[in-house]
Amino acid sequence: MTTDQDYVRHLSDAQVSVELETEDMTLNIGPQHPSTHGVLRLVARIDGERCYDIKPVIGYMHRGYEKLSEVRTYPQITALVNRIDWVSGYANEIPFIVAAEKLMEIEVPERAQYIRLILTEMARVSSHLIFMASYPLELGAATPLFFALRDRERILDLIESVTGGRFHPNFNRIGGVKPNAGAGPTQKKTPQDLPSGFLAETRDAMDIVLASVDELETLVAGNEIFLARTKGIGVLPPEVAASYGVSGPNLRASGVKFDLRKVEDYLPYDRFDFEIPVGENGDCWDRWWVRLAEIRQSATIIQQAIDSLPSGALQAKVPKIIKVPKGETYVRAENPKGEMGYYLVSDGGLGPYRLKIRSASFSNISILPWILEGALVPDLIAIMGSLDFVLGDVDR
Amino acid sequence: MSVTSSPSETETTTHPLQEFADRVAGVVGGSAAITFDTVKISVGSDDWVSAHTAVRDDLDLVFFSWLSAVDWANEVEAGDALSDEVEERIEMLTTVADLTEGHRVTFSTDLTKDSPSIASLVNVYSGANWHEREAAEMFGIEFIGHPDPGPLYLPESFIGNPLRKSYPLLSREVKPWPGDVDVEPMPDSDEPSTENPEA
Amino acid sequence: MIEFITDLFANFWVSLGGKLLLVALMVPLFGMVFGFAEMKLSAKMQSRIGPYFAGGRWGWAQLIADGVKFFQKEDLIPAAADRPVFKWAPIPVLVGTVALFVVIPFGPGLIFYDVSVGIFYALAISSLSTIGVLMAGWSSGNKYSLMGGLRAAGQLIAYELPLVLAVVGSVILAGTMSMSGIVEAQIEAGYPYVIFQFVGFGIFMIAALAELTRIPFDMPIAESELVMGYVTEYSGFRFLFFFLAEFANMFTMSAIAATLFLGGYWLPFIPESTLEFAGPVILMGKVFLLVFTMIWFRWTFPRLREDQLQTLAWKWLIPLALINIAVTAVFKVAF
Repeated sequence: MTTDQDYVRHLSDAQVSVELETEDMTLNIGPQHPSTHGVLRLVARIDGERCYDIKPVIGYMHRGYEKLSEVRTYPQITALVNRIDWVSGYANEIPFIVAAEKLMEIEVPERAQYIRLILTEMARVSSHLIFMASYPLELGAATPLFFALRDRERILDLIESVTGGRFHPNFNRIGGVKPNAGAGPTQKKTPQDLPSGFLAETRDAMDIVLASVDELETLVAGNEIFLARTKGIGVLPPEVAASYGVSGPNLRASGVKFDLRKVEDYLPYDRFDFEIPVGENGDCWDRWWVRLAEIRQSATIIQQAIDSLPSGALQAKVPKIIKVPKGETYVRAENPKGEMGYYLVSDGGLGPYRLKIRSASFSNISILPWILEGALVPDLIAIMGSLDFVLGDVDR
Repeated sequence: MSVTSSPSETETTTHPLQEFADRVAGVVGGSAAITFDTVKISVGSDDWVSAHTAVRDDLDLVFFSWLSAVDWANEVEAGDALSDEVEERIEMLTTVADLTEGHRVTFSTDLTKDSPSIASLVNVYSGANWHEREAAEMFGIEFIGHPDPGPLYLPESFIGNPLRKSYPLLSREVKPWPGDVDVEPMPDSDEPSTENPEA
Repeated sequence: MIEFITDLFANFWVSLGGKLLLVALMVPLFGMVFGFAEMKLSAKMQSRIGPYFAGGRWGWAQLIADGVKFFQKEDLIPAAADRPVFKWAPIPVLVGTVALFVVIPFGPGLIFYDVSVGIFYALAISSLSTIGVLMAGWSSGNKYSLMGGLRAAGQLIAYELPLVLAVVGSVILAGTMSMSGIVEAQIEAGYPYVIFQFVGFGIFMIAALAELTRIPFDMPIAESELVMGYVTEYSGFRFLFFFLAEFANMFTMSAIAATLFLGGYWLPFIPESTLEFAGPVILMGKVFLLVFTMIWFRWTFPRLREDQLQTLAWKWLIPLALINIAVTAVFKVAF
């Protein structure tokens, strides 16, 4: 789809500023942004209440992941990669590990796959709860923040009990998940690989999350003012979304019933029964609602996975020093923010020759110049918040 | 460097993506390879835009996933060198997909190392805009017809193309890698100590 | 001894001084009490505890500590600011609030001065604070304060009209504009006016929230989402004036609403002779109920966009208030 916009660049001085409304003036929003998004800078021309010629300036957080991964080994990259989208830490590691395992042609044990799936879905719930907390706050309602974060603490505590880290688990290994310490030929009895009580507590936590989601729905979704601020605002047609590469809940809110969990085989999602929530109009309200519905679906997936968790090894037999044979592949996964993928070019060495990271929020916010054109200043905040991006994901 | 996953000798176990790969080859021309569950097709750099337009219109691959490049070089300033000598070139890659069945295609074309340039895909997929800007600043590729060229991540005063293999990493220049790594063995394992594998 | 005191206070100047002292004490006292109530109530609604350390387990001394903190801060005035206007800006805001205390009837005869056009005086004086807001926004030398101030001005002026029109219904029913006269009319009628004037009551509460620039109407303040709109550049005791003015104004608006609609210091089944002592307590109870509702709204709703806010005022509240006046007048004349 062609865009015929005339991008006029007004780069004014870098001021630390927030919202400003003046006539025909070049405005700088950011790079300090009062939300969990990060250092994003928007340069816009404001005419009265309306914004024109929005130019996002990104790169304030560019950490050079792709160059860095050319000088690291595969286990080291696993530790780095969960810092791309730090809100959903575990989910970033999965496509990379699956890509390496594909090239090595390793079969991952079932138990490890199920544990990966459970932790990925918990990461998804955690990421969507952050959205539930921060989005009403940007519109002015301060209370859902506390409710959503209170329940997110439960999930983070559970993730920490298994992996040792709340935000950056670093739990995946090539061939499976981290084997419990001391396992190996010297071990005499089978130790527990998950902390005792983890499964039961996670099940209960998911019940609490489901109840809390109902509470959030009553508090926020029934609110007339919230509806007035989000319905009909920032409509994204599905053709435009597809052409720009917008993925994840943003795409599904525009009416496209497409979820990578159903079509890609990086984790055994085909064994579980879940629906894909789809929105109707593609406005901010639909984007909020799709994420709320996805929390419910993820909670049911986790409960199903816990009930049917098979026993077995946690990691396939891999050599101590990992060398991935020559090959190239692209593996993509349904991250909470959208499609995250890794194109891995391997030359048989200890680390990749080239790793291209396709991050979801990068494509999601490339749509900002299109979608914010002619928007009112308060709606700018509402639309940006509803796209749910994280600057680590944008800037890599 | 595309490696075909070995189709087995008997006809009945062709790769599940083979049929789609053949369709892509039919629309674009040439032959599509399947590398570890990824359909990859090479096109000439002059057919870049027409190939993408064809798959977008005929095969319904409307979703633009990403665009980037690989710098194939025999001498590298940072990281490991290639095990075999290769023809030095810049390989452009894109991935496009559909939104119904999950088919996806990775396009590849080769550009020369000095002053690589190729037509821009912005008129075919709007999302190519930012990806091309990033590839331009990281690899030094010129995209002909791009409406708004200019750095995306890097500041305007930046010199060099970081993702080229000829671009050194300053910290590696200053301090040798891996240096002295003091790693103790695990408490009750009688395995040899895990030395840094890169040493 | 008692005679000496009553003779002393019979002197006009002495009683004036006493009344001024009482008002001067009441304003910060109510500001602190309601500020503390907001902290604790919002904490309860958000599954937090709120102030905990200052003054022991209940944290009641939190706002006293805050007041002392504000007072001992450096008096910062931005270099680009218009110094005299900057210094004088909090004064109209505070005056507009304090002057309202004069006409609130705490009990029969317990009113600082019973102005015969009480409610008219109250509404006129309260609109003085708009000037203070504009002064603050203009003089700060900060573009964002200026725009916050202008937006606040637009909002405050827009909601003056519904505020005024909403009370006319009560005035018609009572037949007098004097505040204590309205309460006495309700005592005589035997029911609080809210039973018939519920529309006016609703409009008055909404317009009062907008006059206080509280959520859901706090576009001027939270517009910048980090900084505070027109009070951005204020720190120290100047900020304390704005802060106290907001909470004291919550009290006065609620007290006016309680007087006009809820029966003021009177409850139906309380014998009238005890009203001299029970009156203030009853009024405080009603005021506290209304303030609680304001705090509840603040922490539940998101904020309205500026144009939605103006639409609400001009297209909904003003016509409703006018219809309310017309209907009340018809009923008053016909029955």
